[in-house]
Amino acid sequence: MATTACFIIVSRNDIPIYEAEVGVAAKREDAAQLHQFILHAALDIVQDLAWTTSAMYLKSVDRFNELMVSVLMLLHDSRNDDGIKSFFQEVHELYIKTLLNPLYLPGSRITSSHFDTKVRALARKYL
Amino acid sequence: MLEEGSKKGGNLRLFPPADRPTLEFHLNTMMQEIAAALLMEFEKWVLQAESSGTILKTPLDSQASLSSEEVIKAKKRRLGRAQKTIGDYCLLAGSPVDANAHYSTALELSRLTGDYFWYAGALEGSVCALLIDRMGQKDSALEEEVRYRYNSVIVNYKKSQDNAQRRELAKEVVELLTTAADGAKSLIDASDRLILYIEIARLYGSLGYHRKAAFFSRQVAQLYLQQENRLAAISAMQVLAMTTKAYHVQSRSSISDNSLHSNGIVSNHADSGKTNHQSAVSLFESQWSTLQMVVLREILLSAVRAGDPLTAWSAAARLLRSYYPLITPAGQNGLANALSNSADRLPPGTRCADPALPFVREDWWAGAAPSGPFIYTPFSKGESNNTKKHELIWIVGEPVEVLVELANPCGFDLRVDSIYLSVHSGNFDAFPVSVSLVPNSSKVITLSGIPTSVGPVSIPGCIVHCFGVITEHLFKEVDNLLLGASQGLVLSDPFRCCGSPKLKNVSVPNISVVPPLPLLVSHVVGGDGAIILYEGEIRDVWIRLANAGTVPIEQAHISLSGKNQDSVISYSSETLKSCLPLRPGAEVTFPVTLRAWQVGLVDADAGAGKTVSGNNTRHSKDGSSPSLLIHYAGPMKTSEETPTNGSTVPPGRRLVVPLQICVLQGLSFVKAQLLSMEFPAHVGESLPKLDDVNNKSTDEHVNSETKMDRLVKIDPFRGSWGLRFLELELSNPTDVVFEINVSVKLENSSSENNHFSDQGATEYVYPKTRIDRDCSARVLVPLEHFKLPVLDDSFFMKDTQLDGNGGRNASFSEKNTKAELNACIKNLISRIKVRWQSGRNSSGELNIKEAIQAALQTSVMDILLPDPLTFGFRLVRDGSESTTTDPDKESASAASKGSVIAHEMTAMEVLMVPKRLFYGRVTPSLSSVLSDIAMEIPPLQQIRHSFCLHFLVPGEYTLLAAAVIDDANDILRARAKTTSASEPIFCRGPPYHVRVLGTA
Repeated sequence: MATTACFIIVSRNDIPIYEAEVGVAAKREDAAQLHQFILHAALDIVQDLAWTTSAMYLKSVDRFNELMVSVLMLLHDSRNDDGIKSFFQEVHELYIKTLLNPLYLPGSRITSSHFDTKVRALARKYL
Repeated sequence: MLEEGSKKGGNLRLFPPADRPTLEFHLNTMMQEIAAALLMEFEKWVLQAESSGTILKTPLDSQASLSSEEVIKAKKRRLGRAQKTIGDYCLLAGSPVDANAHYSTALELSRLTGDYFWYAGALEGSVCALLIDRMGQKDSALEEEVRYRYNSVIVNYKKSQDNAQRRELAKEVVELLTTAADGAKSLIDASDRLILYIEIARLYGSLGYHRKAAFFSRQVAQLYLQQENRLAAISAMQVLAMTTKAYHVQSRSSISDNSLHSNGIVSNHADSGKTNHQSAVSLFESQWSTLQMVVLREILLSAVRAGDPLTAWSAAARLLRSYYPLITPAGQNGLANALSNSADRLPPGTRCADPALPFVREDWWAGAAPSGPFIYTPFSKGESNNTKKHELIWIVGEPVEVLVELANPCGFDLRVDSIYLSVHSGNFDAFPVSVSLVPNSSKVITLSGIPTSVGPVSIPGCIVHCFGVITEHLFKEVDNLLLGASQGLVLSDPFRCCGSPKLKNVSVPNISVVPPLPLLVSHVVGGDGAIILYEGEIRDVWIRLANAGTVPIEQAHISLSGKNQDSVISYSSETLKSCLPLRPGAEVTFPVTLRAWQVGLVDADAGAGKTVSGNNTRHSKDGSSPSLLIHYAGPMKTSEETPTNGSTVPPGRRLVVPLQICVLQGLSFVKAQLLSMEFPAHVGESLPKLDDVNNKSTDEHVNSETKMDRLVKIDPFRGSWGLRFLELELSNPTDVVFEINVSVKLENSSSENNHFSDQGATEYVYPKTRIDRDCSARVLVPLEHFKLPVLDDSFFMKDTQLDGNGGRNASFSEKNTKAELNACIKNLISRIKVRWQSGRNSSGELNIKEAIQAALQTSVMDILLPDPLTFGFRLVRDGSESTTTDPDKESASAASKGSVIAHEMTAMEVLMVPKRLFYGRVTPSLSSVLSDIAMEIPPLQQIRHSFCLHFLVPGEYTLLAAAVIDDANDILRARAKTTSASEPIFCRGPPYHVRVLGTA
């Protein structure tokens, strides 16, 4: 289980539509901010990488002080690649389900508590 | 194609002769076929090109020879390019759907192969396909889509111009820099780490990785802030200012700076190709709100430390405005304090580009200001429907009002020192107002101003002086914010969270200022209060119009609107027209004649109930009153000077003059009934003028006596009458006295009898009846005049025309008779007018037509149809007739002449005059004296029957003639209300008096 994991889904227009701190480490306000800063900065690299491959899973793309960033946008400190991959797959499925909701406007924030619970459960399972 | 091969004839198309649209249709179809054929040909060529080994290449492609592992990639690339080309052909052939399909394949392939240039081309093509597909449509969503796609087209073109190897290099650089950043941990000296981070940030910046650069810049700023001195704080502030762009928290002033010096200082940012597109979505600065708040807070902190109040103010303003939902009330208070503290250090009147609170949105039309000028253009109705935008016309020199709504979603009292409309066109004087808003509240306020010169006015927002700094609040930004809130992109809608109802999209009207217009002010002479009228009252109201504008009125038109329009009998638009042009300051007064309507039935009942206690119910429901609409306009000449289209008509104005009529219950009608009475005549030597009574009654009215005399003083020898009265019972529930005046118009009679045609519409006025308050009275309307032979001529004329010669005894068709009778009743009723007068100046007319009609309906036959037979008695003296006696003399000697001596044989005559209407066998019988003298009265003749009477006892006798009509026709039967044809009809004449003198 990773001690630090910050998970963010970013929409087309560079708007974060879902954010969750799924790590087990004690939460600190400034740490959460730092995680988001790192993830935000990593978007530059992700954007470039997306051009080179059609794969959805980009492995570890960036790191800062031992914090690594994977896409869909997960900041983590564990090295369990397989677990992250499965996590992403499951979350992607969840996201697709959310998209199918006719009341959900693509690109807007995901506020569903169900989605949140599921994501956190998945994080516990895989990370 | 026609020249292809030998079968020229087969390629010739022959169209059947038809009109132009059909021909166009045929041609259209043919062109489509040609295009399809061409397209197929091109497609074949393109696909064959692959097999022949041609490589579609551009100079931008790498010149390096294809290595073995790149062959597959090159194939894919070629396929992608081919698809794009096919898409182009499809587009040329006019099939956007096919083109789009090919383009999307091309997009997929070129994205995989990193073929930026062709990717951008395919994307551009897809935009064209989209536009052609939606040709004719124009909506904001489409524009948004096109703008978004073109932004990425531009980005990709830019990318393709970069060195093809740039990405590979970038990857390596990133690796290097990441390692370098890792190495920073091992650096003990903070300043070394600082320098390293600065370098990393700079390199990332030049690489085009703005977010990376911003990240390290922020690290730098944090390191600076740890030093806790003013210079370091200034540096931190400057470094952070550079990051604002990447985090989308720029100050508005820096945005304008960027646009001004985009080629200068910040050029490395601008040309990197990663600048975010300015699509509407990107306007919602809610991205990464956590980061944005942190950055702004750090800017605020550093600015405070650095002693830069303006930057601090601006940062605090942005923080408060954009992220108030995420900040606790305590935090909001702290920000408000920071704002005021910063403002204290700023010189008064400082302007800042970043607005703080409140949120301002325009409310233009929601509840338009009542005093605002309503302007109309009479001919704009049909025209300006194509433009969705509202057109608003303001007038030079006349104050206007705009409603704006302010919202304070924060937890502190907000004091706006002044707010006024910001006008960029410079032809508007705005008046500032100050307002204060309690926590979590919104308020609609009116901002006013005066247009100063002709031309368009644009009001993009408001100038707000709040927290000691002057800022401009743009309506558009708030609109975007609300749009974002509705799409879930923005955290909160500041207006809704203040409890303000959600407004529908208010379109900002196009405002233009026109030259001064006239302004009419209306005034009801005698007070602008409600005009109190009794039911049916007729009164003239004078309305005074004054031109309060500075331009004369040259055209005016009056019309009616609202309910109860028929209560306005007349208005004198000529008076107004005759006063045109109405100079500024001039006045015109014109009359409007009103007649109060009936108070509704339910109201009347309620009113009747209350009258017992003497209360009057006032019926002045809102909206039941009519109003006068006066459309007016100034001179035509000035309109040509304004830069409007030639077709537009100069605007005019509309003045609504509400006629506030308050109708009181007046006289109320209780019932109408028909009374009849008979005046016996004396038997004299002369025969009564039967014809006159029955046929030519008007003769006497005019020639000999006035009708009043005739009614009151009855010449007893002239004949006996069966008088009928219409009795109207009226009650007066009001507290004033009414005088009733019944008048009857006689016009039909004159048309019947040619020799009296000169008396057109004689009106008989009966004496006035006074009804005191809380009393009721009966008014008698003699109906005698109406028993005129209305049917005699007109009916028979018709009858004979219809039935030819044998129409004498022919039965009337039932329907025809009824219709005619109804018409007669209506005619009769319309001639009775019951007017009333109360006090000095109120008078009116009772509307009791229905009541009279109901009363008459039952006995209409008796009234309208004359008696079938009229009888007259006469004394015969010495066997000689004295019919030629002078009337005056006759009446003078009436007493002696009209008496009969007892115990004498008195010779008498009874004269029977049949109405022409009723021909048939008549069996007259004189009661108790004679019986069963059957005789036939020939047409148009009268019968004289002589008999003798011998009175034994002196005294008063009454003679009564009666007859039985055997062979009555239908009318007669209808009058007698019998149904069977065989039943004889009894007909009784009026009683006659005989005074028998002598001693017993």
